[in-house]
Amino acid sequence: MYDAPANKQSVDQSNQKITARNVQVFYGDKQALRDVSVDIEDRTVTAFIGPSGCGKSTFLRCLNRMNDTVAIARVEGDIRLDGEDIYHPMVDPVQLRAKVGMVFQKPNPFPKSIYDNVAYGPKIHGLTRSKSELDGIVEESLKRAALWNEVKDRLQESGTGLSGGQQQRLCIARAVATGPEVLLMDEPCSALDPIATAQVEELIDDLRQNYSVVIVTHSMQQAARVSQKTAFFHLGNLVEYGETGTIFTNPQDPRTESYITGRIG
Amino acid sequence: MNVGILSIIVLALALCGFVVGRNRALQSVKGDARKLHSLPVYHGQTVALFVTVPAVLMMAVWLVAQPMVIEARIVGQLGDAVAADPVASKLAMEDVSRIADGLDALQAATGLSDDEIGDMRSDLSDIRGRLAEVGVALGSEVRPEIFSMAKSLRGMQQTGATMMTALVLMLAVGGLALGILRIEGDFRARNVAESFFMWLLVAAAGVAILTTIGIVLSLFSETMRFFSVHPASDFFFGLTWNPQFRGGSDLGIIPLLWGTLYITFVAMIVAAPIGIFAAIYTAEYASPRVRSVVKPLIEVIAGIPTVVFGLFALVTVGPFLRDYFAVPFGLGTSGSSVLTAGLVIGILNIPFVSSLTDDIINAVPQSLRDGSYGLGATKSETIKKVILPAALPGIVGAVLLATSRAIGETMIVTMGAGAAAKLDLNPFEAMTTITVKIVSQLTGDLAFDSPETLVAFALGSSLFVITLGLNVFALWIVRKYREQYE
Ligand SMILES: Nc1ncnc2c1ncn2[C@@H]1O[C@H](COP(=O)(O)OP(=O)(O)OP(=O)(O)O)[C@@H](O)[C@H]1O
Ligand SMILES: [Mg+2]
Repeated sequence: MYDAPANKQSVDQSNQKITARNVQVFYGDKQALRDVSVDIEDRTVTAFIGPSGCGKSTFLRCLNRMNDTVAIARVEGDIRLDGEDIYHPMVDPVQLRAKVGMVFQKPNPFPKSIYDNVAYGPKIHGLTRSKSELDGIVEESLKRAALWNEVKDRLQESGTGLSGGQQQRLCIARAVATGPEVLLMDEPCSALDPIATAQVEELIDDLRQNYSVVIVTHSMQQAARVSQKTAFFHLGNLVEYGETGTIFTNPQDPRTESYITGRIG
Repeated sequence: MNVGILSIIVLALALCGFVVGRNRALQSVKGDARKLHSLPVYHGQTVALFVTVPAVLMMAVWLVAQPMVIEARIVGQLGDAVAADPVASKLAMEDVSRIADGLDALQAATGLSDDEIGDMRSDLSDIRGRLAEVGVALGSEVRPEIFSMAKSLRGMQQTGATMMTALVLMLAVGGLALGILRIEGDFRARNVAESFFMWLLVAAAGVAILTTIGIVLSLFSETMRFFSVHPASDFFFGLTWNPQFRGGSDLGIIPLLWGTLYITFVAMIVAAPIGIFAAIYTAEYASPRVRSVVKPLIEVIAGIPTVVFGLFALVTVGPFLRDYFAVPFGLGTSGSSVLTAGLVIGILNIPFVSSLTDDIINAVPQSLRDGSYGLGATKSETIKKVILPAALPGIVGAVLLATSRAIGETMIVTMGAGAAAKLDLNPFEAMTTITVKIVSQLTGDLAFDSPETLVAFALGSSLFVITLGLNVFALWIVRKYREQYE
């Protein structure tokens, strides 16, 4: 219902950016995700909702193989990005993560200057040829993350000296600067005030022109505002997945209905 | 009564105070502990503190002050001529206390009464012979005035001890009574205990600081004595180190400083990279299983005594370097060399650097690694660009700490680099360091106030200033690059 006309045109080709089939995740002996199958579409915002501890972050971290860095985590099932198995032994997780960017639940700016935080990705991937080009990317990314006006005079100050909400927007700018095809955002607005939240939502809507965005959120309103697709997780299961409008107005599963009306979670 | 028994009595009183105080606190509210401001235990504790703290403080002060007061009095009695000359009064005082100790031993061995000892006279009874029997050898015949001094010293010591016992016991009993009388339901015993523990901690910190100040002061005062008998410019700028037994020595610090810095430099060239790389491996790359084996294995090095390292330098590294490098390349024929000592000190310091660095790297939050990996950085990029910069202040601190240790190392240098003070660039030459020379100057047979001995203190002060400078520098770096996480 929020679809822009440009988006509608591109729907005709194969529109699946990421396809996940029967994904299981174990932390040691404990199973955190059961049989999750989802198709994430290109140029679409997909929202993951569900009560705390249901496995939203876990699933998000499967999509760019961040779970590889957790020693006890084990992922089973099949996840494909543009038709290629991302857990195939030949796939380099480092390159995958350059394509599938991530904003974490807790802001984690590097203890470097604001500028260097944003320039980090472009530098390691050699995305720019000159200093002025890099300056341009930094400015552009900070603007898209709605942080530029607050930091344009202090780009050389440490990123850790910013407020929590500013840090989170810095992390968003950092992820955007790398130019990912898919952006995974784990509760990006949980530390933000309503104004910054609105700006980030605008950014997400803007990113949808070119990328696919997956956002985890605890705010039903936010999911309804920014996403076209919504997935509802509960206790490690994917309960329901579909058009955001349908999920919120006409949920098929009683658990979904109880959650969105505030009875569980 | 001796100090041990006195302490036991005070402790026993404190224990009584604890039990009585606790019970009385309970009684004062008719057994209902909820009505007390503080738990009964705190009341007991407070009474015990009232008993011990003043008594123990008094005992400590008395034990320190008594010998000083007595000495001042005795020296006063020796006459103005002796009192004015510090050396003479010190010697006289030593005689007096030796004889007094001898009399104590005699009394213990033969069971003479105090009166009989008081009646002894140095010109009549054979004091020297009798003291020799109980194992106290005196150099010369005992002079009568010294002997009577010794007797009065014993007298003063005895009165002093009696007075101290009486005072301490009075304080303990008084504290007990006061503590018990103060107990009532509203008494804030918990706060008293709280502030007591604060002062205890303050005192502990104070002891540490005061000892440091004391050490520095004594070091510097001896150094000043050295500079009063030897020109400071010769010491600081002299290019030769050549102490003579008959005076007229060249005591220039430069060759020693050069040796110290050269050896330390070689040691850190070995220890810093290997230690840091080993730490990066154990902290970032090693699986938990490998890590649990490798880390302790590296740290075993730290448990080897430095003398053993010295042997290693002497019999293995030294000859190896000489036979395979120095001699074939015509760089020297000495088994002891800067390179030998530097290498071995470097090896000694590897676990130091690596285990500190490992801890520091582990303290970098996982979220920073996630952030970097999430942007598509590789492991080594993450380490180079995020982890090491974040850990840098700590790593610099670790390296400088290891440097201080290398500078202060003595045993390995003695055995590995020799004792020849030389200014030379060739790392295959024998050289020596400040610490080695401090030891050799102090263990010589020279008079204690000759410049050749006193120079040890000047060397010590210089070493202290260098290490202090190093630490200040480390702090400065840490401040400059401090970047807090989150
Ligand atoms: N590193 C880990 N080690 C062990 N268990 C983990 C780990 N990370 C997550 N889990 C477990 O996996 C389950 C899902 O966690 P996850 O972080 O995905 O929840 P979430 O849906 O993101 O919750 P929230 O909304 O609170 O962020 C939880 O039961 C959690 O305890
Ligand atoms: Mg989460």
